[in-house]
Amino acid sequence: MKLDSAPLSQIESQPELQDSTTVNLTTAIIEPLSPVVVDRPKKPESVAVIFCTTFVTIFLAEIGDKTQLSTLLMSAESHAPWVVFLGSGAALITTSLLGVLLGSWIAKRVSPKTVEKSAGVMLLLISVMLFWDVVISH
Amino acid sequence: MDWHLLGLSFITVFLSELGDKSQLAAIALSGRSQSPRTVFLGTALALLLTSLLGALAGGAVAEFLPTRLLKAIAAVGFAILAARLLLFNDSELTH
Repeated sequence: MKLDSAPLSQIESQPELQDSTTVNLTTAIIEPLSPVVVDRPKKPESVAVIFCTTFVTIFLAEIGDKTQLSTLLMSAESHAPWVVFLGSGAALITTSLLGVLLGSWIAKRVSPKTVEKSAGVMLLLISVMLFWDVVISH
Repeated sequence: MDWHLLGLSFITVFLSELGDKSQLAAIALSGRSQSPRTVFLGTALALLLTSLLGALAGGAVAEFLPTRLLKAIAAVGFAILAARLLLFNDSELTH
């Protein structure tokens, strides 16, 4: 062990020490709480999880879809890809905004159980439509 | 700016997307979610990215991406989301 390295490691170890105390503190706080969270009927999903699920599923579903094909046809014919992107982008934002507004409007008017069931059926329908696309395009 | 082309692409895409898969997904996901704003952001950004790819890369997209495989993956993803809502939701029924 080098003597001159001792003070350096001591300085370095200070933030580590702070880190470990905070970690201990948070675990100490979380541990008694976790059974309470498990007991709750529905675990609220984090914003990041909702965003990633939505983004990835929609992105994969729409790749090579008829909208994307018509976009690329129009941009190839017109030689103005940015104008076509602007037009189709605005249209896509509008349709998804309408969809989300309609979804939350319905959710306010019917019971959560019905919402969950019908959302499940709709997602299943989308899944079948996608599988159908895969089979058809072969 | 070519306003005619802008309007044409807006109307074409708007009509073809109305009631299509992604809008149904937006309705379904926002209905059960606590933050519809996040669902809107995720949906809109994913759609913008696909149309950006479509407009800029043109016909090359289908050549360098395995679109059928991606669609199949998406189908499985939607099936899992549906199954989670329909099958593993017993705690809601007791309330």
